[in-house]
Amino acid sequence: MSTIAIPGRAPGFWHRRRTRRLAIQAAFGVLVALILLYLLERALGLQLGFEFLRSRAGFAISHQWATDFSANNSRLDAYLTGVWNTVRLVVVGLLLATFLGVLAGVSRLSSNWLVAKIALVYVEVFRNTPLLIQIIFWYTAVFLRLPPTREGIQLFDLVFLSNRALVIPWAFPQDGIGVWLIVLAGAAVAAWAVRRWRIADEERTGQPGRGNTMAVTLFVLLAAVSYALTDQPLDLEVPTVNPPVNGSFRGMGGGLQVSPEFAGLLVGLVMYTGAFIAEIVRGSIQALPRGQGEASQALGLGAYDRMTLIILPQALRIMIPPLTNQYLNLTKNSSLAVAIAYPELFFVGGTIQNNAGHAVPMFLLIMATYLVLSGVTATAMNVLNRRVQVVGNN
Amino acid sequence: MAAAARVVAARRPWHVRARRWARANLFSSGWNTLLTAVTLAVGGYITFALLRFVLVSADWGVIEANRRLIFLGRFPQGEEWRVWPPLWAFLLLAGASYGLWGRLRPRDAVVFVLSSAFLYAFMVEGANALLLGIGLALAIGTWAASDALVRGSRYEELAKRITVGGWALLVPFLLFMLAGFGGVRSSLWGGLLLNVVVATVAMEAALVLGVLFALGRASSLPLVSRVSALYIEVIRGAPLIAWIFIGWFVLPAFLPPILGLQDIGLVLRAMLIFSFFEGAYIAEIVRGGLQSVPRGQVEAAHAVGLGAVRTMTLIVLPQALRNVIPALVGQLITLWKDTSLVAIIALTDAVGAAQAAIAQREFIGRQAEVLLFVAFLFWTVAFVMSRLSQQLERALGVGQR
Repeated sequence: MSTIAIPGRAPGFWHRRRTRRLAIQAAFGVLVALILLYLLERALGLQLGFEFLRSRAGFAISHQWATDFSANNSRLDAYLTGVWNTVRLVVVGLLLATFLGVLAGVSRLSSNWLVAKIALVYVEVFRNTPLLIQIIFWYTAVFLRLPPTREGIQLFDLVFLSNRALVIPWAFPQDGIGVWLIVLAGAAVAAWAVRRWRIADEERTGQPGRGNTMAVTLFVLLAAVSYALTDQPLDLEVPTVNPPVNGSFRGMGGGLQVSPEFAGLLVGLVMYTGAFIAEIVRGSIQALPRGQGEASQALGLGAYDRMTLIILPQALRIMIPPLTNQYLNLTKNSSLAVAIAYPELFFVGGTIQNNAGHAVPMFLLIMATYLVLSGVTATAMNVLNRRVQVVGNN
Repeated sequence: MAAAARVVAARRPWHVRARRWARANLFSSGWNTLLTAVTLAVGGYITFALLRFVLVSADWGVIEANRRLIFLGRFPQGEEWRVWPPLWAFLLLAGASYGLWGRLRPRDAVVFVLSSAFLYAFMVEGANALLLGIGLALAIGTWAASDALVRGSRYEELAKRITVGGWALLVPFLLFMLAGFGGVRSSLWGGLLLNVVVATVAMEAALVLGVLFALGRASSLPLVSRVSALYIEVIRGAPLIAWIFIGWFVLPAFLPPILGLQDIGLVLRAMLIFSFFEGAYIAEIVRGGLQSVPRGQVEAAHAVGLGAVRTMTLIVLPQALRNVIPALVGQLITLWKDTSLVAIIALTDAVGAAQAAIAQREFIGRQAEVLLFVAFLFWTVAFVMSRLSQQLERALGVGQR
């Protein structure tokens, strides 16, 4: 007997693993197909086309920046204006929230008791309160409660605060901005090349390469020279207050006017998201081995160098995936603008849907837009993530 | 030597110790001293302004006049009694759980006494004071009984099972008390009560859905896993408010015309949307938990002869869920805060009530008072939830085994 007899029989057809898997999947597939068919059958009774987006919008959009939309444009134009309003809100929000979050997260770990406690209170208060309330609060209880234009507050001649608009200094592009931007891009490439060369040199010779210093100096020099040569393509303006003409809004000029809606939404999103980012930053720093901080201390690095050269670059690797999540959250949370009527994409989409019906295609379009926005953010962060990881593994 | 030094340090007079502490924690260097001065100025100013607002310049009459609106919305007069039994049941279960699983810490006792004092000073009056008193007495009584008598006795296991069962029945009990025996239509539920109802129902449903979709996504069957993944990604792709609007405008057209399903109210639709939306997020968290369970656990379970279902429910899921408690509770807190979004679809939840109160003519300009108060209510619940999650982690020994 060379074979060993296995007790029992081979499993029957219905007990074979393959058959079972196939059966379960078939049943599941039929179920999903039935649900989809049902939804499709229901949807066919509704208006599904996108033609309604071509007709005249018929409503104005109060908040515009670098767009030129009027009620006579098409609904599609209105929607695109809304998308642009979302994008500019989100981009500014991401930058400020990251800055605030890193600041608060590092402060949470400060050796200064007072700083650490204040950061803790900030995080606990803003993280555990609904964003909707925060946004309504900033809008109605702060920015709308500022004095009217006529009695507006002027801070250091730089910022003008009133309940119609906040005015901040701004650089307005003039003729020749395109040329200057191209030169700037060239300068950035040159600076990057210089930095690579200095770092390579530093690694070969062991002498300090001063790559960052040289790169920054080169960039600033090139930028300044080309700025002068292209005849100053930016016009820097600070808010000016003219004596009111019939008490009207035109009484102030210069600078960039930020509406209370934009300001309320931005501050709400930044304070809320910043609290979450702070916790991510703190967690990532604490996840590093303690030896990293101690070793850099032993090498004689000061607190600032220790943080920027040793701790943060390593913590960045742990930080990026959860940070990406927060960026996506901020993007999606910008839709809460609907509560204070800031015309971003969801509010404009809702208005169109209110005027014209066609709920199904409108919401499909809105969801597709958010998917694209999230996709762009996530892709950018993934690229950054890969870069950080590769640098770390060298 | 070190121990001796510590003893000596402890015996130094308090002002010496305070000075040392301040030097180490506030003025350890010139830079730190500057930092302390700046934060003290800014933080002090904010604290002062806030305190002055709360104690001096704020007019809390608007809360006084709208207390009922904020807590109950348009709940009919004369039906308020329906709210109390579920609240008592909650307090009773909380007391029992603390007695059975917790440990009396002076800090908890202080928080309990202070919050009770706060409730009595500012929140309740008349008959409500008595009714709340019954609840607090129930909480203290069950805590004392379970801590002193049951714990360590042979009834401890039984008591724990009954308590867990009680928690499971709490939400159905709440719904039954509100809607049962000639109860109140869901369209009349409002205020903070509405937030609580929507949140608790959606939490339970979202946990179940989340586990199901996580198992689906982790499944080795390609079709099941693809469909689950697609569902999760699509749901997470769009903001919650978009889904709520879809539930408002689009969902009715897709509901089958049977069993009166097409007429389900806005509140029920909100519960559905919240459950399916947060379910997708919870699924991703649970998936992380599933991946954190070592393969050896599954193999060992197979080796002792457990089938696929029992391996999952007895071995893998309990460990997976325990590993992700912080993220899970974080998501539940998000869900709690997100219930405020129903205000946007014209339901009178606490935020809707706040907006209604702000719009009243006699309270023009009182936005800050109302919004701070409602924010405080939401904050308290969320804060308690996050503290409970830490206790739960400790009780289950996360990161210790």
